[in-house]
Order: sequence, then structure tokens, then C-alpha cells
Amino acid sequence: MTSAIAERKKEEIATPQSGEPIRNRRVFVPLADIYETKDRLFILADMPGVDEQSIDITLEKNVLTINGFTTPNTENELKLVHCECPEGNYRRVFTLSEEVDRDGIEATVKNGVLKLILPKSQKSMTRKIAVKSE
Amino acid sequence: MDFKLLPSKWLSKKNSLSASRDNSSELNEHKEEHPVYSLQSEMNRLFDDFFRATEMPMLGRSFALSPFTAFEHGLTPRIDVRETDKELRISAELPGLNESEIDVSLSRDMLTISGEKKQESEQNVKGWYRMERSYGSFTRSVSLPCEVEQDSCSAVFKNGVLTVSLTKTPQAQTSTKSIAIKKE
Repeated sequence: MTSAIAERKKEEIATPQSGEPIRNRRVFVPLADIYETKDRLFILADMPGVDEQSIDITLEKNVLTINGFTTPNTENELKLVHCECPEGNYRRVFTLSEEVDRDGIEATVKNGVLKLILPKSQKSMTRKIAVKSE
Repeated sequence: MDFKLLPSKWLSKKNSLSASRDNSSELNEHKEEHPVYSLQSEMNRLFDDFFRATEMPMLGRSFALSPFTAFEHGLTPRIDVRETDKELRISAELPGLNESEIDVSLSRDMLTISGEKKQESEQNVKGWYRMERSYGSFTRSVSLPCEVEQDSCSAVFKNGVLTVSLTKTPQAQTSTKSIAIKKE
């Protein structure tokens, strides 16, 4: 029973998996959609303020880590009077199953949305076995 | 027998306080896993969700009233408002939209951001594992705290963040007036 609002709240990572970061910036979990077609898996992650240069995707064994870095607002003369989008980076970790072809992963970012395309490996796809008559 | 293991003592605060230092740190470590604690946190979450969902102004988080506070639902974009003496800058997070799909309009003292986010999934989707993002049309109106020049409004959309810059009118810039206090 997670309401839409609870989900929309910028959720912060409570304990970073790999040690504490040096810089004291907040880290948020980007909201993601995951769906599959016959031969591919798609991950869409909302990371507003992030462009292709500020995304870091790593794959270690079967752990896919997405890091997105936003540029802090440096215009000091602007005074923040109302804040709903606190500044911070994005981080989300996914564990891939065996069926993903590790070498064919593609990533694109457009309008603050990261799109990951994970092709399924040939061996995991269902094959039809022809039955011969003896 | 360890008293901590008695079911009736599980939730008692006194018990956890009287536990020795070593035990309490151990208890904290396993807090998340402990069935009673997880039940309790789940109950807290349900209550939180309920009060947020019903949008009761006194109980939800909209209690902290600010001139920009809106009752949020689904897609309402989150906004930041920044200002200088001359300028008002409103930025909104709108990931996944094109600039052509966003409509920004300014009436005298109201800025409205609206648009529609379309679901852009591939054809032949076999199954969904997660659906956390929202789709559909949205609108958010912000009442402006001061008068702005109607003609000098500009908007930039970059990486899913819309930034609207508004110039305050000269009257608004100099509208603060100190009031002299007289002694009776």
C-alpha cells in the first residue's frame, strides 16, 4: 500500500553500500521502471539534472551500479526561498540475473531519464525444439 | 531465563533500557531484522502513508505552510524557488519530458506549469517488473510572492529540469518599507 506520494518522495539511501563518501552530499534513489520485451530488458531511471557526462555506470560481476552526479548550484546571489528538490547525487544498484548478455548493455540519457537496454543472452532465450519423426 | 525473550517484554521500553550496554547495541544491530520491530515500522509507515494520502493539512507534511505549498499527487512536479532582489527563479523537475510537451504560462500573479508525460515504452512489452515513475498530465500553479514584469519571462529546459526566470517589477523591488515606531 505505498501511495503515489510516498513513492514520489525523494528517497535517500540510508547506508551506502561501499563505504562513506568523502563529500557530504545527499544521495537519492532514482525512481525506475523496469520492463522486458522478448529479447531485451529495459530500465528507465528518473535522474533530473544529470547529463551523459555526469553518469557513471559500472558492472562488477553481476552488480550493476548507476551513479548520477548533479552540479551544485553555485550562484550565490540567488537565495533559496522554497525547496522541494534538495540537491544531491543519485545512486541505485541492481543485481542482474544470468540471462543478461553482459557485453551488449547500452545506456542513453535524455531529458534527465537514463535508459538502459540489457539484451538477453542467446542461451537464456526460449528455443523451439523441432520434433522429428523416426 | 532471559527476560528479554518473554513475548510480553518485547515492546516494553523499560526492558530495553535495563538491558546492558552490550546487549542494547546488539539489539540495535538486529533491529531491522527483528519481527516485532519490522512490524512496528511497517505500522508506522502505513500510518504515515494514510495521513499523507488523505492530505489532511494539519496532520500531513503540508502542515508547514509556505506560499508555494501545493497538495501533491501523482505527477505534480517538485519545484525550487530562488530569488534575488531583482529576479525570481523557479525550477521544476520534469524528467522524461521534451520541451515541446511543457506549457508554461504566466497570468498576473500566477505561474502555471502544465504538460503531459507520455509512456514511451517499446512495443511488445512482455512484462513489467517495476513501475515507479508516473505518467499522465499534470499541472502546477504557483502564486508569485511579488509582481513581475509580464514580458521578461524566460524559460530553459535542460536535462529534465525546467528553469523559469522572472524579473520583479521596479515597484516590487522597492516595496519594502520600514515603519517608524513612535513612542506614546
